[in-house]
Amino acid sequence: MTGTSKTSILILDDEPIVSKRLQPALEKKGYEVESFYESARAMARIRERTFDIVVTDLKMEGIDGMQFLAEVKKLSPRTEVIVITGFATMDTAKESMRKGVFDFLAKPFKLGEIQEVIRKAEEHIRLGE
Amino acid sequence: MFGLFEHIRTRLLRRRRRERVSLAALFRQFQQVLELNNRILTAIASMHDKLGGDYIFDVQYLRTSKQFIVDTVRELIDAFDAMAPGRYPGLYAIFRDIRHKLESEMERRPVLPDVMAMSFADIRLQDMDAAGAKSTRLALIAEASAGAVPSGFAVTTSAYRLFMELNDIEDEIVRLEKAWRDGAMTVQEASGKIRSRILAGSIPPRVRRAMARELETLRRGAGEGILRLAVRSSAWGEDGDLSFAGQYESFLNVRPEDLHDAYRKVLASTYCPAAMEYRREYDFKPDEVFMAVSVQAMVEARTSGVVYSLSPVRLGESGIEIAAAWGLGAPVVSGEVPADHFLVSREPGHGLLMETVAHKATVLRPGPEGSVVTEEVEASLCDKPSLSPGQIRLLADTAIRLEQYFKKPQDVEFAFAPDGALIVLQSRPLRMEVCDDPHSPDLSDVLKGYPVLLSGEGDVAQQGVASGPVFVAWEGRDLEEFPVGAILVAHLSSPQYAAVLPKASGVITDIGSPLGHMATIAREYRVPALLNVSRATLVLKEGDVVTLDAEQKTVYQGLVRELRMHDYLCDHMEETYEYRLLRRMLKLIEPLYLVDPEENNFTPQGCRTMHDIARFIHEKAVEILTEIPTSSGAAEACPGGRLELPVPLDLVVLDIGGGLDESCAGDGDKPGHRRTIRTDQVRSETLRAFISGVTSEGVWQSQPVPVDFSSFMSSMTRTFSADSAGVSRMGQNLAVVSDRYLHLSLKLGYHFTLIDCYKSEDDSRNSVQFRFAGGVTGAVRRSRRARFLAEVLNGFDFSVTVKDDLVVARAKGWMARDLGRLMRILGLLVAYTRQLDVSMVSDSVIYEHCQEFEHIAEEAVGN
Repeated sequence: MTGTSKTSILILDDEPIVSKRLQPALEKKGYEVESFYESARAMARIRERTFDIVVTDLKMEGIDGMQFLAEVKKLSPRTEVIVITGFATMDTAKESMRKGVFDFLAKPFKLGEIQEVIRKAEEHIRLGE
Repeated sequence: MFGLFEHIRTRLLRRRRRERVSLAALFRQFQQVLELNNRILTAIASMHDKLGGDYIFDVQYLRTSKQFIVDTVRELIDAFDAMAPGRYPGLYAIFRDIRHKLESEMERRPVLPDVMAMSFADIRLQDMDAAGAKSTRLALIAEASAGAVPSGFAVTTSAYRLFMELNDIEDEIVRLEKAWRDGAMTVQEASGKIRSRILAGSIPPRVRRAMARELETLRRGAGEGILRLAVRSSAWGEDGDLSFAGQYESFLNVRPEDLHDAYRKVLASTYCPAAMEYRREYDFKPDEVFMAVSVQAMVEARTSGVVYSLSPVRLGESGIEIAAAWGLGAPVVSGEVPADHFLVSREPGHGLLMETVAHKATVLRPGPEGSVVTEEVEASLCDKPSLSPGQIRLLADTAIRLEQYFKKPQDVEFAFAPDGALIVLQSRPLRMEVCDDPHSPDLSDVLKGYPVLLSGEGDVAQQGVASGPVFVAWEGRDLEEFPVGAILVAHLSSPQYAAVLPKASGVITDIGSPLGHMATIAREYRVPALLNVSRATLVLKEGDVVTLDAEQKTVYQGLVRELRMHDYLCDHMEETYEYRLLRRMLKLIEPLYLVDPEENNFTPQGCRTMHDIARFIHEKAVEILTEIPTSSGAAEACPGGRLELPVPLDLVVLDIGGGLDESCAGDGDKPGHRRTIRTDQVRSETLRAFISGVTSEGVWQSQPVPVDFSSFMSSMTRTFSADSAGVSRMGQNLAVVSDRYLHLSLKLGYHFTLIDCYKSEDDSRNSVQFRFAGGVTGAVRRSRRARFLAEVLNGFDFSVTVKDDLVVARAKGWMARDLGRLMRILGLLVAYTRQLDVSMVSDSVIYEHCQEFEHIAEEAVGN
C-alpha cells in the first residue's frame, strides 16, 4: 500500500472508452485512478511511482501488452495486474497467467465484473501485507 | 474435376427444386428461416444492450458483432430463396447496399443522410447526424413545447462533405493534421492553411439551391420585416456537443446575400486551433469531423444572455446562474462586457439568492448593413437590472425544464424580444470542470453517510444517476398522473411504461430484462434504468425522494447531491469513439420500418435495415406456407388436417415438424385426403393453449347480435383485398405448427387475425406477435374494437400499436416467458371479439368490455 489509504490503480488501454467508463466508476468507489491511452506514457509513469493494481489491454500499437506486463512485474512484483483484451484466446490467457497476471477479462465485459476482479485483487494485496 | 462435378450436381438439384419443392424440404427450409430470424433478433438486442453503459466493449467487439449479423442475414436470404427461388431478387441488392454502408462505418467513412438542408420544423432526434446537435436540440425543444425557438434551418453534414469534395480539400486536411499530430507543424500553422483553403472554396450548386429554398421559407415567415440571420456551428456528434462557447464561430445579423460567406467562415472555424486540440483530446478521428451549420432568423433582442441551470462556480450550492445585458447576447457569452448576474434558487418559486447589477455602458445591436455595431446605452438604463423579477423566474423555469428534458444541466443562450417573449437560442450540456478541492470529502466516504435502500441486485439497462419522488405503478394505476422528474417503480418492466419514460428521471423494476422493449426505450431517452431488482415495489414508498445509481445498482434514501454532481462532472462513454460507432451501426441494423404488410413499402426495396430484411422474409415465408393447403400443385398429402373443436372455428392444421402426433403424419396412400385431428393429438403446447382459450366455456360469442341497418349497408360497400391483413385466401383458417413455432391465420366473420409465436428452448427468447384488422360495421365501431384490443393487450404486457382498425401487438423475451398463458389469453380474445364491433355503439362500451374480458381472463387463466 502506498502513502495514502486509497488503493491506487493504473488503467492502460488505447481505446478511451475503457478509461472513460472505468475511471469515474472506480473513483466513486474510493479508488485513486490514473488513466493512460499510450503505453509509452504508462511505462514512464510506472517508473515514477508504484501502483497497487494495473489494468492493461494486451494488444496496442507501439508496444506489446505482454512487454508492459512483464515490466510492471519486474519493477513492482507486488503489483497485481489485470489483463483485458478483445482478442481473447486460450493461449493468450495461459501466457498471461504464466507471467503472473492476477486475472483475465475478455471484452465486452460488464462493469460489475471488472469491479469484482479489482476488489479481489485488492483483498489479495491486503492479505499479502 | 471435383468442382465441376459439384457444379453440375448443384445445377441439377436447383432445377429439380424449381420444378417442385417437396413439402419436407420446404418445412426444413422454413424452420431454418425461423431459427436464423431468431438468431438475428437476439444479436440485435444484444448489441443494443451495449448502449446502456453496463458493458465495456471495443472496436473488435463491434467488428465481430457486425460480421455475425451480416453473415446471418445473408444465410437467411439464402434460406428464404431456397423456399421461393428467384421470387424476390431485390433482397440481395438491398442486403449488399446495407452491408456496404456498415463496412463504410467500420472503415471510418460514416454514412450520412443525403440531404443538404433541413428546416427546424422537419428535424427529429434521428436527424442529429445530418443537422448537428445545435439545430436538432432547438427542434426538439420546439417539438416538446419546452420553449420558444427561432425559425431556421440546418445546412447539413452532407452539404459539408460535398463542399469538401468539390473543393478537393479533404486530402490536404488529412495531410496537415497528420503533420501537426506528428509534431512537424504547429497547430497554428496547420489550422491557418486549412482555413484558407476552406474560405477560398466554392459552394456546390446543390447546396446553394437548398439554401435558397430554405431562405425563401424564412422570408415568407418574416413577413414585412427585414430578414437577418444568425449563422452558427452545429457540430456533428451523436449526443454530445463537444464544444464550448466561442470554440466555433457564430455570425450575427447576416444579410441573406451574405449567407454563403458566413457559411464558409463557420466551416473554417471547424479547424481553428482550439477545436483541433479539443478533437484530439476526445479521440475524434480525422474522418469523423463533419460540420453542420445552423441558420436562424435573428431575434431582435431587448435583453439577452446565458443561463446555467446549475451554477458551476458555487459547486456546493443549488443555484441557477443567469448573466444578462441589454441588446444582443454575444458579448455576455464571451465575457467581453460587464453583465448583470443573478443567482436564483433551483427550488420551485426560484427565489433570488444574489444579484449583481453592472454598469452597462455599451450595447451590441444589429447594424443597418449587416453585422453588428456597438452603441452607447441611454443613461437611465446603464445601472438598471436588465431583467425583471418576472423574467428571471421565467428563465429559471425554462432552464429547469430544459435540464429535465435533456437530463443534464444546461447552458442556455436566450433573448427577450421587444414584445417580452423569451426565445431559446441554444441549449447544450453544461460542461463543468472538476473541482480539485483538497478539503472536499471523498465521494465514497460521503456516500457512506446516506441510508441505502437497495443494493447489489438487478440488471443495468441504462447507467446513470437519477433523483426524484417515487411513483409506484401498481396494477391498473393511471399513468397520466406520472409527475415530471419522478422515478418509476414497477413490478414488471412492461412496454406500457414506454409512454412515461420521457418524463421519468429513472426506472426501477422488480422483474425485467435489459433486452426487453422498455429497456430499449430507456436507453433511447438515456433514462437510468435498473431492472430485475426483485424487491423495489416492497421497499420504495410512494412519494419518498430517492437517488438511484444504476451503475452501482444502489438506491439511496433522499437526494444525494454529491452523487449527482459526480455524475455530471465525469466523462461519459457517450463521448467515446466506440460508443458513437456502435450507435451509427445500429441505425443500419436495428430500426424496424417495415411494420404493416399492407403498406406500399412492404417490399425488398422498402427494407432500410437488417431488421427490415429479417421481418420481410419472415412475413413472406409464412405466406408461402399458408398457400400450401389450397395449392393444387401439392403432390404430397399435407401432414395435418382439420381440427375437431366444439366451436365452429373450422381450423386446418399444417404440421411442419413435431407439432402433431406421429399418427397425423402425411399418408402417401391417400393423396389429398382430408383428415380430422383430435385435440389430444396436438403436441404443440402453444396450439393446445390457444385451443384451450378459444374453446373456454361461455366465451365464444354464439348469440348473434342484431346487425342494425346502417352497419349492414357500410359492410356492403367495403371491398376485401385478398391480401388484407396478410391472409392470402378468404375463408381459410389455418394453423402452421411445429414443436416450437405456431402461426395462426384466422378469418372470422369479416375480420382477420394473425398470430405468430415462437418458443425458444429455455423460454428466454420467446416471442409473440398478434395482428387484427377488419370488421363488418362502420369505421368508428371498428376503431373502437381496435382500442378495446389495445387496452386489453397492453394490460397483458404486450407492446401495442394501433392504426385505424389495424392492431399490432408484440411480446418478447421476459414478457413472453409464459407462452402458454399468453396463447390462452389470445384464444380467449379471438373468441370474445367475434362480431364484437357490432355492439361497440359508444366509447363507454369499450371499457365495459375491457372489464368484462378481464373478469373472464382471470377466471380462465388466473391472470
